[in-house]
Amino acid sequence: MKEVAVVGAGMTLFASRMMETGKELCWEAAKQALDEAGLSLQEIDAVIMGTAPDAFDGIHKKGENLLDGAGGANKPYMRVYTGGGTAVMTPIAGWWHIASGMFDTVLVVNEEKMSSARPHAQSVFAHIWDPILDRPLRPNLVWIFAMEMQRYMHKYNVRKEDIALVSVKNKRNAVDHPCAQLADPKITVEDVLNSEPMALPVRRLDISPPSDGASALVLASLDVAREICPDRIVTIDGVGWCIDTTMWTNRDLAFPKFLARAADQAYRMAGIKDPKKEIHIAEPYDPFNYKELQHMEGLLLCEPGEAAILTREGVTQRDGRLPVCPSGGLLGVGNPIAATMGIKVGEIYWQLARKAGKRQVRNDPVTGVCQAWGDLMQFSSVLVMRRR
Amino acid sequence: MEKISKPTEIKHQLGHMEVDHYHYTVGLAGERFFTALREEGKLLGARCESCGVTYIPPRIYCEECFAELDEYVDLGLEGEVRSFTIARIDRDGRPLDPPEIRALISFGEDTTDLLHLLGEVEPEEVYIGMEVEAVLKPKREREGKVTDIRYFRPIK
Repeated sequence: MKEVAVVGAGMTLFASRMMETGKELCWEAAKQALDEAGLSLQEIDAVIMGTAPDAFDGIHKKGENLLDGAGGANKPYMRVYTGGGTAVMTPIAGWWHIASGMFDTVLVVNEEKMSSARPHAQSVFAHIWDPILDRPLRPNLVWIFAMEMQRYMHKYNVRKEDIALVSVKNKRNAVDHPCAQLADPKITVEDVLNSEPMALPVRRLDISPPSDGASALVLASLDVAREICPDRIVTIDGVGWCIDTTMWTNRDLAFPKFLARAADQAYRMAGIKDPKKEIHIAEPYDPFNYKELQHMEGLLLCEPGEAAILTREGVTQRDGRLPVCPSGGLLGVGNPIAATMGIKVGEIYWQLARKAGKRQVRNDPVTGVCQAWGDLMQFSSVLVMRRR
Repeated sequence: MEKISKPTEIKHQLGHMEVDHYHYTVGLAGERFFTALREEGKLLGARCESCGVTYIPPRIYCEECFAELDEYVDLGLEGEVRSFTIARIDRDGRPLDPPEIRALISFGEDTTDLLHLLGEVEPEEVYIGMEVEAVLKPKREREGKVTDIRYFRPIK
């Protein structure tokens, strides 16, 4: 199996991008990633596209619609889609394209345009549910998450004040991200606790915003990486993914077992025996503030119920022992589903390569983990990266 | 197996997609193209010098080399038919009178094609290579859409 490195990353501003087409967003991010890698499009062997349900953009086969903006024309090209989990799944697909020995350079482009569906992107989410048992009861994402949050708080005795701290940390971290949609340097725990109720216990500032945007990565075999960027060798050392059962009613809502399995797979591949000690930085998926905590636990970075305590103690701050979501995360930078690759995989790459600028963490990390979560809220993809 | 002739008689749940419409953005290059069409009656393309390709409608990037394209060229209103097909009945089987002729219009060797309709021509008279020109709606009726071009007709 060939070793694989990340050699470039790029992303657009996350916001409602009414002026640009999805293709134009793809091109903007892909061009940045290629420029950072110092490669031209002609030097790319294959392209992977990640983008969420066609129903957001209103174009069936939208992976194929976006392909020319993603640089896929006349190349081996495939779309990979696992809902929100796409953010880390497409880089895994890029990894296996190279690890298999088939290709030396792969461009990975993720795009989302949630502003097209009217009246709101929530209308698209409305029909991901089972048409016989769920939909007659008119579920929406927020109240399903409210139930999950409730179970999580109940089972592990987690306080809402500690969960609110995640929104505060991430929205403040996002101030230093040039692509951020909802950064807020002055936000307080009280602001989060008193924000507009959505479906209690979930309030507005507990949730990340829908968004438009694109992100891109350039992956290369380690041999190629040593030629083009010997100053920053950041490799993908472990990958994992796993999915829980179809019905959300049949899952453990407090602890994400599927994520623990995916993480275990990735850690074993990377030769990590004790993730609590060997992982120095993490970008878990944070579409809701409690999800960051739950995902830290699923990633085996602490015991179930312990993430809130670490957050309260400041361990997960940018200058803490284990920086978590130093990018500002989905809560602060925005949530254009698949395109959040830029603040998960992109951020860990930039941090390990010491290219994160104002967001650079203090503990000079060597090994990092990032994770995305999605499909019908029961899938996770995990990627472990190292600086060599 | 029993043939189900009345689907409403088996247990079921009716549903519908809840998105009521989509807002499709024309994009940065699309703004230039459709504004020039509406205001000036022009068809613009974007040229990539290094690949020698002109895109119509224009794009902000070349899909071959990813160069940023900011050179817009007026392609004129004349082209030639590269391929075509004729529809004589609609999807419900009703006759279309006159028949609808859809064609790919080429604006030159190194230029991408534009999909449009042919008019003021009998289906039997259409051939590949036929020289055609765009017939635009009067300016006050133009909306900045591809249908601001009514059709292409043979150059007499």
